[in-house]
Amino acid sequence: MKIEGSYTVQAPRDAVWQRLMDPASLARALPGCEKLEPNADGSYTAQLNVGVAAIRGNYTGRIEILDAVRPEQYRLKISGKGTGGFLNGEGLIMLAETGPGTTEVRYSGDAQVGGLIASVGQRLMQAAARQIVGEFFQALGREVQSQGG
Amino acid sequence: MATALLGERIKRKEDPRLIQGRGHYVDDIVLPGLLHLAFARSPHAHARIKSVDVTAAQAAPGVVAVYTGADLQGKVGMVPCAAGIEGLKVPEHPCLAVDEVRYVGEPVAVVVANSAYTARDAVEQVEVEYDPLPVVVDPEKALAPGAPRVHSKLADNVAFVAKLEGGDWKALEAEPGIKVIRQRLINQRLAPVAMETRGVVASYSPGEDLLTVWSSTQIPHILKTQLALMSGVEENHCRVIAPEVGGGFGSKLNVYGEEGVACYVSKALGRPVKWIESRRENLQATIHGRDQINDVEVYVRPDGKVAGLKCWIIADLGAYHQLLTPAIPTLTALMIVGAYHIPCVFVETKGVFTNKMATDAYRGAGRPEATYIIERVMDLVAAELNLDPVDVRMKNFPSPKDFPLALPTGVTYDSANYQRTLKKVLKAAGYTKLRKEQERLRKKGRYLGIGLSTYVEICAMGPSSRMPAGGWEFGSVRIEPTGKVTVLSGTSPHGQGEETTFAQIVASGFGIPYEDVTVLHGDTGVVPMGIGTFGSRTTAVGGTAIYLAVERLKKKMARIAAHKLGVKPGELEFKDGKVQTAGGEKAMRFLEVVAEAIFAKQLPPGVEPGLVEQCVFEPANFTFPFGAHLAVVEVDPDTGEVRLRNYYAVDDCGRVLNPMLVDGQIHGGLVQGIGQALWEEHVYDENGQLLTGTLMDYAVPRAHQFPWFETATTETPTRVNPLGAKGVGEAGTIGSTPAIVNAVVDALRPLGVRHIDMPLKPEKIWRVLRSASAA
Repeated sequence: MKIEGSYTVQAPRDAVWQRLMDPASLARALPGCEKLEPNADGSYTAQLNVGVAAIRGNYTGRIEILDAVRPEQYRLKISGKGTGGFLNGEGLIMLAETGPGTTEVRYSGDAQVGGLIASVGQRLMQAAARQIVGEFFQALGREVQSQGG
Repeated sequence: MATALLGERIKRKEDPRLIQGRGHYVDDIVLPGLLHLAFARSPHAHARIKSVDVTAAQAAPGVVAVYTGADLQGKVGMVPCAAGIEGLKVPEHPCLAVDEVRYVGEPVAVVVANSAYTARDAVEQVEVEYDPLPVVVDPEKALAPGAPRVHSKLADNVAFVAKLEGGDWKALEAEPGIKVIRQRLINQRLAPVAMETRGVVASYSPGEDLLTVWSSTQIPHILKTQLALMSGVEENHCRVIAPEVGGGFGSKLNVYGEEGVACYVSKALGRPVKWIESRRENLQATIHGRDQINDVEVYVRPDGKVAGLKCWIIADLGAYHQLLTPAIPTLTALMIVGAYHIPCVFVETKGVFTNKMATDAYRGAGRPEATYIIERVMDLVAAELNLDPVDVRMKNFPSPKDFPLALPTGVTYDSANYQRTLKKVLKAAGYTKLRKEQERLRKKGRYLGIGLSTYVEICAMGPSSRMPAGGWEFGSVRIEPTGKVTVLSGTSPHGQGEETTFAQIVASGFGIPYEDVTVLHGDTGVVPMGIGTFGSRTTAVGGTAIYLAVERLKKKMARIAAHKLGVKPGELEFKDGKVQTAGGEKAMRFLEVVAEAIFAKQLPPGVEPGLVEQCVFEPANFTFPFGAHLAVVEVDPDTGEVRLRNYYAVDDCGRVLNPMLVDGQIHGGLVQGIGQALWEEHVYDENGQLLTGTLMDYAVPRAHQFPWFETATTETPTRVNPLGAKGVGEAGTIGSTPAIVNAVVDALRPLGVRHIDMPLKPEKIWRVLRSASAA
């Protein structure tokens, strides 16, 4: 399943980049994030409570940031599993300054879901993913502003 | 009520309790100390199981035990497959996966808890580590060299290859003027969706070493044998009961892993356990139907005479064999010539493993596929040669005088008059007028389509020589001291209404009130032996056993009555509650004869006391019911929507014992067959994830989508059984699918449409119409 889109954050690119790399900010911005802990190898272990339509569940997963080119782009690799099945995804995140103090974050990737979320929610996945991503960036934007980024 | 004669339209004895909610299904069985099961299932289509951690689940409050595949290894037998096909590969099929999972929904572990909800919640705490393996979903890709293998122990994904060949192909291929028409037809995967999902209660009593199982099954006796073998409890210590069964359509003609697990757990814990399948599990892990790719080559003469038919079948079996999985597509080959005299036949059937749930018997089981092939072929021939589809069919029908008719497929059709059913349906529909209307509407840019299907099917399964494990059926009739009659049958209904038809057979035989007869079934502790209900066999095979048991009893009663009355037994008839001479001068009441027989004061010498007879009826052949269906559709060119305007069905199931039940079977069958043609489709994505996992996604037909069905019958009795009945349980499903597709293709013919694969959803048709108008 292809997931792509973009979101504009009212903050300079460096500030957005900083937040995206900061576990504490991420944990606060990620919808349903209950835990986000850095691992020794640079990856994170995440615990999320998210859902698609009526299929809400607890997921434990691993998030990796790869090939980071500060402050322009990085690859994000996610693998998780939980009550609703499993999710594996990989995508590219690109940051572009579209104006003074305005950053456009574009993302594109491939996600593979299995189990209940696939059989019940797949037709809703793209819309749901867009919504979750939207909520994330909205929260991230607030993070940047509140901390005077 | 007066004596119910065979052929009367009588309301079902079963219905008052069922429509008032007073029936008892598996989930209504409550036993002291009952525990509940829930299964952890694979979210992967193919993966190695790295580890299963049940610690958290086991520690959850209310959980009694958790078992994994490894725990059950060597303690529960494999899920059985009864199909006997030469060279068939039968991979190991454990009740719970051990090292590898091979389809989404495969059970991996079972949680036992004090409530169903607790069990379901704890399933989510079973931690399974999977290592994903390459997945193969498309059966054609599964055949390619180097394709991922579903079973690494097997050399490839081919479970079997079967060939069927007949006729002088050399001569036909050399024949001048012979035309060859080729077409690929896809028969999509379906979900049976019985209203009641699967369910099982297993109760093992250690003291008596007795295993009692309640299962929503069509085959209690076969299930008893198999569960005895799987559980290790001796068969004469096993009892299987099928209470009310809320539909099956073949999906409960099976032995499932969950049943084996339930027996094991009950035995291990010494407590009764229950498992009721959820709808999601039902769509995922109850057998699926159909799923074939058919490449057809038709050899036709310029006058429309079909002289030869070749077909290459790729049957998607899924990951494992269930009870009859590989046998189903072989029925397609057997019935591929349909109602036509086609001298040359070649069929190659390849059964292929894929990372999906197993396919198996679903209403029609292999015959809907055959009928779809041959009925589409007839219309393809008509379109190619610009002939009327009626003329092509009439040209290829055998004459009624040709029966019994031996075919190159190796079966012998018992009796038929295909011309009569076709003429009757054409008359009912007003065929000539319809064609004129079609022409008129076409000029106005409206697309009316008329579709025919003149099917034949194979029923009353069947002679034991051609069945995997016996094709006979058991029936017994016992007259109680009060004159009430108790009937036992080895068939096990799930909507067939045999409590009604069998009571009709018995009441009319004895000349007693229909209310005096009770039919018992579905309990191996009550009915000594049986095969079960499938393949439209209940009346033709099971009913015949009862009919013959009645005849035996009547002979005995006539001897007793004759002894008392001083006449010859042959002079006596059973009528209006009496056993009497033809004119009625000498008579005894039925009850008096019963008393004589049971109290045994003055029995003729050599006559045993009591009135109980049994019969195991072995049919000499299958029966071959047939019919002619006609569908009228209109396709909306703007939306691609198909409106089914009229449906006419003339069916010949031999002698009709109760027209109301025949109507009911036809109506239900039509809905399922039309559902396949227009809406239903069970879809996996390329990763083997099931996309149609709920009834929001899988389109089960609803009543408002159908017009009133105009049904009628003709009666061509069979000599295969003394009742003359052929069977009607699957006819509607078998006949209707091609009638609809033929009608839609006929509607779109002016746009150059030759074929569209099912289901004919608006989106698909809209695309076809759009590309046609663009061109």
